[in-house]
Amino acid sequence: MSNIAGKAYAMNVITPIPWWKAIWQHAAFKFVVRFPSNLKGLINLSLIHYARWTIIGRNSFPHLAPSQPKEDLHYSYMMFESNFNGSWDQYIDSFSFAIPEGLDLFWRFNIGYPKSIPLHGFYNYIRFNQIETDHFYNAYPCASSNDVKSATHLYDNLKDFTETSLELSDEDFEQAYNALLLDNQQYLGCMEAGPSLSLKEY
Amino acid sequence: MANTSGNAYGLTALCPIINGHTNDSNPLYKAAGESHDKEVRRILQALPLNQESPFANTDNTYLARLFILNDVFFQQGNDFKRDQLKSKYLCFNSNFHGELEPYLTSLWNNNENQVREIWQHCVAFESVSNANDFVRYIKSCQLTTTLFFNGSNDQPVAEQLKALYVKQMFSEFVLTQQGKSAAELKQAFKYFLQRVQLNDVKSPSWKPGQTEVAL
Amino acid sequence: MSYIDGISMKESKSLDLYDIQGNVCKGYGRYGFPKARYCFLSFQHTHSAREFLALLIEKITTAETWPVSESSDHHRIKPNSTLNLGFTYSGLKKLGLPERSLKGFPVDFTMGMKARSEILGDTGISAPEHWDDIWQQDNVHAWVAINARDQDAIEFEFNALGDLVTQHPDGVRIMSGIKGPNNTILPYQDASAVFENGLPTAKEHFGFTDGIGNPYFEGCGNSMSRLPGRGKLMRDGSWQPLATGEFVLGHVDEAQEYPPAPEPKLLSRNGTYMVYRKLHENVDTFNGYIDNLAKDFDGSRDLLMAKMSGRWPDNGAPLTLAATDEEKETLDAKMASIELRVSEGDKSALIERKELRRQWVDFTFNDDKSGSRCPVGAHIRRTNTRGSLETEHKAFHRPGALVDRRRLMRRGLPYGGIDEAKSDSAEQGIIFMSIGASIERQFEFVQQQWVNYSNDFKLGNDKDPLIGSHDGKLTDKHIIQGCPIKGAKPPFFCTQMPRFVETRGGDYFFIPSISALRMIAEGLIDPS
Ligand code: HEM
Repeated sequence: MSNIAGKAYAMNVITPIPWWKAIWQHAAFKFVVRFPSNLKGLINLSLIHYARWTIIGRNSFPHLAPSQPKEDLHYSYMMFESNFNGSWDQYIDSFSFAIPEGLDLFWRFNIGYPKSIPLHGFYNYIRFNQIETDHFYNAYPCASSNDVKSATHLYDNLKDFTETSLELSDEDFEQAYNALLLDNQQYLGCMEAGPSLSLKEY
Repeated sequence: MANTSGNAYGLTALCPIINGHTNDSNPLYKAAGESHDKEVRRILQALPLNQESPFANTDNTYLARLFILNDVFFQQGNDFKRDQLKSKYLCFNSNFHGELEPYLTSLWNNNENQVREIWQHCVAFESVSNANDFVRYIKSCQLTTTLFFNGSNDQPVAEQLKALYVKQMFSEFVLTQQGKSAAELKQAFKYFLQRVQLNDVKSPSWKPGQTEVAL
Repeated sequence: MSYIDGISMKESKSLDLYDIQGNVCKGYGRYGFPKARYCFLSFQHTHSAREFLALLIEKITTAETWPVSESSDHHRIKPNSTLNLGFTYSGLKKLGLPERSLKGFPVDFTMGMKARSEILGDTGISAPEHWDDIWQQDNVHAWVAINARDQDAIEFEFNALGDLVTQHPDGVRIMSGIKGPNNTILPYQDASAVFENGLPTAKEHFGFTDGIGNPYFEGCGNSMSRLPGRGKLMRDGSWQPLATGEFVLGHVDEAQEYPPAPEPKLLSRNGTYMVYRKLHENVDTFNGYIDNLAKDFDGSRDLLMAKMSGRWPDNGAPLTLAATDEEKETLDAKMASIELRVSEGDKSALIERKELRRQWVDFTFNDDKSGSRCPVGAHIRRTNTRGSLETEHKAFHRPGALVDRRRLMRRGLPYGGIDEAKSDSAEQGIIFMSIGASIERQFEFVQQQWVNYSNDFKLGNDKDPLIGSHDGKLTDKHIIQGCPIKGAKPPFFCTQMPRFVETRGGDYFFIPSISALRMIAEGLIDPS
């Protein structure tokens, strides 16, 4: 098993939700999409490549053949799958510190959800409902979501720069180059393998 | 509600695993006493990683995972009912660029053996014999994402990798140029452009799943 | 401004300062104790070790408040020296704590610092195999710290400690194996403020002014005038004391809960954890690097140093207050004229001085998002991000949401640099000590994520320019951001940074309350 691939951690959390409340939870997500300011904190944290919440109706677990017994469930379920940067504790900590209200909105109607503050109730809830990943693939183990985003900006800007600057005189080129550096100084961190996230050796 | 966020696609599929032991007529399996879910888990855990992962061979995978949902958890307390799943599920969760059909086709075409090895333990997979079947199969197991949060971007993976490569190269380049004369700088920059080939997305670039920053 | 006088905001929480060890609430340096000696004990037989402990407890300095200034009766209240005590996990085991209590300690502490080297960046030359001999064994059980006004007082107290140890030959011994000046191996680590003209200064051996920023927590007993800039940053720009539980166990923390702690409560309440690290400073390498780079740098050598630490070396003024040589000159002139007026007895100058001094600590990076004043990767901006990680207004619960649970209570002093000429190989550096309720969440996080990594600053894997685990590679660098507005100065790169600071030893210690110490000594800890 490995929940870790380079700088990314794969989290799977599946939690029950009464079927009628699942409708409210759907509405809560609609609300989030309608008013993206609800995502401001998540965006500012900038620790996630991609994350998804999927509500599975209690009657909508895939059923493929008569030989497969039909599920007979009391509850619907919500599956949360995140690809984030940092260790488990760091991620849970940061989320709980920075956007407690946001988390509460995302899990609000789930059974047993303790709210994100105090922290340890939330910790235990996530740990308890988390499922380990057996195979995890990351296209860029050396890059965090921040690295990907800054790379994209820098790459675009560099392409623009080469289009306009190569014909300049040496002196003008130097000026343009310095302006390029100034405009892109926030994208110039160097990448390497990330800090160790695994507790396996400890 | 939304399996897509721009050109990024979020796939979640729950593929039911056959209950009981693997092929009873095969004495090898029987001796090992392997149930299908254990067999799948063993295969998943033995899949090669990073650049060798089947997903590195599947065009446009950003991040993908496979795991097994054995059951759901009982929420402790008086007021809660107890649910138990009747099947175990192979969960396939992928975030990729582009559309579902070409993605799954690429997964099949480039990794047919591994796909067969993994999914053979799933219910009704015996009906799958080509890429089209596989697409149909996964779609029949697909769940609709309720909320897709794209904290990155929705570019083709090749573009992202090229951008990362260029970023790394350029942030090293600038360090070597501090204090150089204007003429030297311009010359060096031209040489830099020749090396990194900004407009060639494919090469030179990082390879999907590459674990070190140097090429 | 309203609470600087300490009137409009009252301390709402009172702590039992007589139960908390003094080093938790006080940086002794600030209280006129520029000298320190740290020594490490190894316990042998539990019974005898406990007897020793019972006697040592009498000497321990608690956190009771003292007047900061030297008043006429200070001798009555303030001792000539202080003594504090902490245990490693193996020490607590040796002292016979019940298994259930031991199991309640967090993994970071039970493993100890050596085993956490991968997390801490203690690799290469900083790896544990290069540490002082004392750390090569696994029998450091306790840390004893003596702080004093002068060296005589240190020797006096150390001898007294030695006597106590001698009385318990099969209970405890003072361990040797600490590298001292001129290739000596000593049974203690001396530390001292750097003296100039016979007076203690706040300098460390690279020439920076240190010991300014430190957290302020509820009930710490410090003057409320120290709150602004040291507490937690509120939405309206004001500062509130951090929750006690961030620094002392058994009290509510910033997550509105009691920090996880071992049982019984009497064992953990009013206790805390301390990180002890001997950080060697390669002064030749540092000076050479700075001298060399200063030639290419558009600004003074001092400015270059400031751009690495975030504060001016000479007087510790933050770059937020003066970010260029010209601004610094203006600031110095302003300060000089205020000082002059103060010396002439001008009362209003006193207030002006206080107000200006406040800005040494009470600042944010809000007006400096790009880092053109204080570089994004500068030491103090990494280790105390203030509100700067909230890049979009009101994105977070509080502007400092990501730092309030990562604050470090620093209790260090420089060591060495007295008996031998400063060079890379001579013994000098900082005994870095940091106190907090969770080593993993506070110190280890800062060290791993903010000192030796930069994802939270969106700067990839760049490291702290002063203390990052650099190796002289091209990409071992620090970006001094340029200014987009003023003259459009491009960024300046410090590259091929060598390792200025090396780890030479250390461990994690539990600093029990006085009550807990008594019960440990008497074998009364009972988690049933
Ligand atoms: C030899 C090693 C070190 C040197 C030379 C050094 C130097 C400095 C200097 C010059 C300052 C500014 C003065 C002040 O605000 O007090 C400072 C502040 C600080 N340092 Fe270090 N430091 C060292 C090690 C560390 C370590 C290992 C950490 C933690 C991982 C650390 C954390 C801090 C913190 C938290 C501050 C206060 C920042 C603030 O509150 O604004 N330092 N250090």
